Amino acid sequence: MSATMLTGLPRTVLRLHRSALLAWTVFVAGMSGWLVWLTEVTAKNPEPQGLLCFDACGQPYVLLDFATEMQWACTLIGYCFVGIAAFAGGALTGRELESGTAQLAWTQGVSPVRWLAAKLALPAVALTVGGTVLVLVFRWASTAHRTQDWTTSATMFTDRGPLVVAYALCALAVGTLTGLLLRRALASLGAAAAVMLLLYTVLTSFRVHLWPTVTRTGPHAFDLPDNVWLVSEGSNAHGRFATYHPASHYWPLHLTETAIVLTVAALAVLASFRVLRHRLESRV
Amino acid sequence: MTDTAIAASALGKQFGRRGGWALRDCTFRLPAGRVCAVVGPNGAGKSTLLALAAGLLGATEGELTVLGTTPAEARIRVGYVAQDKPLYPQLTVAETLQMGADLNPERWDAAAAEGIVAAGDLNPKSKVRSLSGGQRTRVALALALGKRPELLLLDEPMADLDPLARHELMGTLMVQAAQHGTTIAMSSHVVAELEDSCDHLLLIGGGRVRLAGEIDDLLAAHTRVSTTADADLAPHTVVESRTTGRQLSALVRPSGPLPDDWRTGSPSLEELVLAHLRNPEAPALTPAEAAV
Repeated sequence: MSATMLTGLPRTVLRLHRSALLAWTVFVAGMSGWLVWLTEVTAKNPEPQGLLCFDACGQPYVLLDFATEMQWACTLIGYCFVGIAAFAGGALTGRELESGTAQLAWTQGVSPVRWLAAKLALPAVALTVGGTVLVLVFRWASTAHRTQDWTTSATMFTDRGPLVVAYALCALAVGTLTGLLLRRALASLGAAAAVMLLLYTVLTSFRVHLWPTVTRTGPHAFDLPDNVWLVSEGSNAHGRFATYHPASHYWPLHLTETAIVLTVAALAVLASFRVLRHRLESRV
Repeated sequence: MTDTAIAASALGKQFGRRGGWALRDCTFRLPAGRVCAVVGPNGAGKSTLLALAAGLLGATEGELTVLGTTPAEARIRVGYVAQDKPLYPQLTVAETLQMGADLNPERWDAAAAEGIVAAGDLNPKSKVRSLSGGQRTRVALALALGKRPELLLLDEPMADLDPLARHELMGTLMVQAAQHGTTIAMSSHVVAELEDSCDHLLLIGGGRVRLAGEIDDLLAAHTRVSTTADADLAPHTVVESRTTGRQLSALVRPSGPLPDDWRTGSPSLEELVLAHLRNPEAPALTPAEAAV
């Protein structure tokens, strides 16, 4: 285990949260394995067992069952930040403050600020590495067969780029902050998960406005190419119109949202250190 | 090195802007190398005082100096065991001590920590969550002593221990204090628990310091007297007086020679403490203040 090569504070933090690290490793490995299986075995199986394949049994990738499972994997990866927020609010900080073990750590030879820095940095490394693996595997699996596109699925939009990692890091920071604020494991576990779900819902509903849309007018306004994200269409005094995001808007939209989520994460980290300092030095 | 372990002047701690004062106007000085009993009823502010000294809380008013510096800067040289002995339940005993070594680089005394655990017949591979209250206390003390603190703050350290373990661990603490000159401040609401081992007393009642100083000096400053009910106790400071029939018994701080016809005696530490706690209006005696 990697803990044997480390010393000092990092080794202690890893040892304290080894079951969480194990769970994250199992999640990343399990999801990757499932995606590989779906792509390499299920989708290429020339003789699907009792599945309806209509007239396309000769062609892989069109089986309905496969698309459903792919969508499940997509949803699990897209919402894994909820579990991360619960871990960060509950086990990482809330439980420590509730049971007094945080004070135990602070009265050892490391300052509380270094303690918090280690508590944030080590999980952040694990989340970045694991999240990157998930994104790469998912991109490979989803380009192998386009059953769903980012224009129709919110989680497909998230899972195809660094936004997954950004949400994971944001969940870590927000969970840490709620744990330090509430000082109760269960309360901050719930609060962190709720705050992150709210942030995700708000950003998903405003996602379409994160980059200027393209508007098309004229008699052929409705003849849009495939793979566009249609925002609105209709007729007004000037004739037909359609506003949409073409496929090329994926990265601008994705990276803008990533930047917003990372900003929230940075603010939560900043606030966490302030709350910690306030807790130790507050005069009331 | 400084010869003062803890110095407080007008120290106060309020919880919440409108909350009550857990501690108010505390002034005392604990010289280095002493074993100090922090005594007081439940809720008197003992835990608050120890947490302030450990740098886990900020003072609302007044000054607190620990080992010649701020509590936060002294933290690395201070050992602290909280009242409920928090430990990580998912670690084993051995891993808990390994954590002490990891978090206290250059200070950790593995032999001392392991010795305390071994004396309790603890399996190093046991998970902390499976330990009894007394065993947890032992591990928590091992963790605090392993960092070779110059000042050891113990909040109700012996509450969970059976008499045998209490005696043995108290002995370990005294050896530590004698060998390394460690200053120990330990709180309790049971005076008898501390009487034999402590040489300094800090009595806290209602968030204020009622008595502070060397136990011998404090005992010498008080006299138990019994006389007739019509006797005038002035000009001596009366801590407590009680009339039964024609008999008056009192605990006084003589301000001069006592009349020959009064029967006098030396109070025990417990009598002294109880008399002050029963009579909150009795003036405080903190001779150590003069040395601040």
